Amino acid sequence: MKSTTGLKAKGMNLLVALRQISAFTKRDMYGWSTYKTAAITQLVSVLIGVLAWGISATYLDRQVPEYNTNYISFLIVGLVIGNIVMPIAQGVERRLNPWTLETILMTGVSVPVFVLGNISWNYIFSIIIFIPQLLIGVYWFGAELNLNIYSTILAFAISAIILLGLAMVSTGMRIVTKSTDPVTWAVNTLSQLLAGMTFPIQFLDRIFPGASSFAWFLPQTWVYHLCREALLMGLSPAAPQMQLDLLKGLAFAVILFPLGYYVFRWGLKRSKKDGTLGFF
Amino acid sequence: METINLVKRYPTSIKKAIQGRPGSHTTSFKGIFEVILRRGSFITALDGVTLQIKKGEIFGLLGPNGAGKTTFIKILCTLILHDEGEAYVNGFDVRKEPSQVLRNLQAVIGGSIGFEWRLTARQGLEFYASLYGLPKYEARKKIDYLLDFTGLKDRADDMYQRYSSGMRRKLVLCRTLLQDVPIVLFDEPTVGLDPPTSAEIRELLRDKLSRDEGKTVLISTHNMWEAQEICDRIAILYRGKIVACDSPDNIRRLIRPETVYNITLQSPKFNKEHEKMLKDLQEMAGVKNLTPRVTPEGVFQRLTLYLDKNYSLSSVLKVLFSYGLEIKSVDAREPDLEEAFIALTREEQKE
Repeated sequence: MKSTTGLKAKGMNLLVALRQISAFTKRDMYGWSTYKTAAITQLVSVLIGVLAWGISATYLDRQVPEYNTNYISFLIVGLVIGNIVMPIAQGVERRLNPWTLETILMTGVSVPVFVLGNISWNYIFSIIIFIPQLLIGVYWFGAELNLNIYSTILAFAISAIILLGLAMVSTGMRIVTKSTDPVTWAVNTLSQLLAGMTFPIQFLDRIFPGASSFAWFLPQTWVYHLCREALLMGLSPAAPQMQLDLLKGLAFAVILFPLGYYVFRWGLKRSKKDGTLGFF
Repeated sequence: METINLVKRYPTSIKKAIQGRPGSHTTSFKGIFEVILRRGSFITALDGVTLQIKKGEIFGLLGPNGAGKTTFIKILCTLILHDEGEAYVNGFDVRKEPSQVLRNLQAVIGGSIGFEWRLTARQGLEFYASLYGLPKYEARKKIDYLLDFTGLKDRADDMYQRYSSGMRRKLVLCRTLLQDVPIVLFDEPTVGLDPPTSAEIRELLRDKLSRDEGKTVLISTHNMWEAQEICDRIAILYRGKIVACDSPDNIRRLIRPETVYNITLQSPKFNKEHEKMLKDLQEMAGVKNLTPRVTPEGVFQRLTLYLDKNYSLSSVLKVLFSYGLEIKSVDAREPDLEEAFIALTREEQKE
């Protein structure tokens, strides 16, 4: 009897949490839609970005043996993932402001709800534009997708956990530093160079010998790598290479998610101790 | 609500601490090192604040800028962690049980607006209602009630950015009341508002929140008149310390326990009889002091009397009448809260 009541309470809490996340999503979506010019220019610049990269890739057309594909497919997939990666990792950080942070914290929302809520619209928006981006890549530039749906789902799920962890680290640090968060800045900047968005990371060794080994320690590298394996190589989750890489990605997720939670809590506590929660 | 010996210190900026501002301990390399590690130098915002706020009362926290009022309120709201002492809200420890505390208390804090500029007031309130976990139907009913309660119903579907300062303050109050909490805190409730809106907000606090709904209300303000007007009890906070805590009337009398009367006379010539009368008055038990005002032409114009607060004026008037004096007017002047506030904080400054 007791366990049934406990389960019911947990179910209710989950329902409330989902409603809270959806409230954040609606708030951000309404806000976004009221800035019509900004919304249109954002959409246009995303599409122009894909076109620009697509043209460059067509011009540089070459094979990418690491993923059994050509460069156009490699680059378009990288760009599309990149457009999903960055908004998640910076989602909460960008929404932080002293005018709302205190009042939202006073509602007693939990840390995961706060983080997921602030990310959700960015994520949904990224997914919405992900599809036309892919379609442009495939039908206009002839990118070849060889996707395995199960691996894609797993790769996206693991990537989402990794990125949520990063988002929490970033937010926790930002609450304390108020401006640029040095940790996320370092990770993101290094990722631009090393995570392999526009080239396979093995290529790094030709310029900086041994750099690719370092690149594998960056979480974003795994996000790109797993998604590319799933979208370009068509590896099933049962394939030994995919299994191993999913496990490695999962290891990042398992470390980064609780670490992010801890850093967020630490940032909040530190800011409350210094009395700077409402500062910016 | 109760606080016991509440202490809050803020770290000073490294530069200021190294320059050796008051309160810093940086005279040596060790001191500088301690400051860099944020261990050495602090500004004390609250210095042992012990207060008990009773259920259902309107309690005012008075103090000049920088006295620690906002820090005190934010500690109760779990937005700032105190360094020493204890703070309880309806029996819940603000440090150990923040979620229970937030189910018992909500606050309107100056800088924290919490509304998106381009959402309507209703959309903003719906957002918060979801965060408070209110079911949809209940939320809708509550939002309608609160918009009506604060007189914002007609403008509910206007964007927040179209709202005036007074309307924004009322909307923040709506957000605060979405969750049916027994305690409501206000940091400077009427600052920056015009007189009619200020009066409306005061009416909301006193008549609707406190009297009709029985909520405990804590306001922080440096508006003495406001505190005197609506608070059941007030505490004067100065440099992080409580220098007085009582009803506004009692605090006013702390500095001058007597009532002052200015008696204007029908301008008789001042004579020996009047001198005798003044002596008689001085001998009366309730008369603390008196000052006659006689013009250079010898006209007895006015008499200022300092009477014990419970002493009856009629006994004094009887004496005046018995000497044949005719009275033009009588003004009673009680000490006001501002005088008391200045006197108390000045005393504290000397110490």
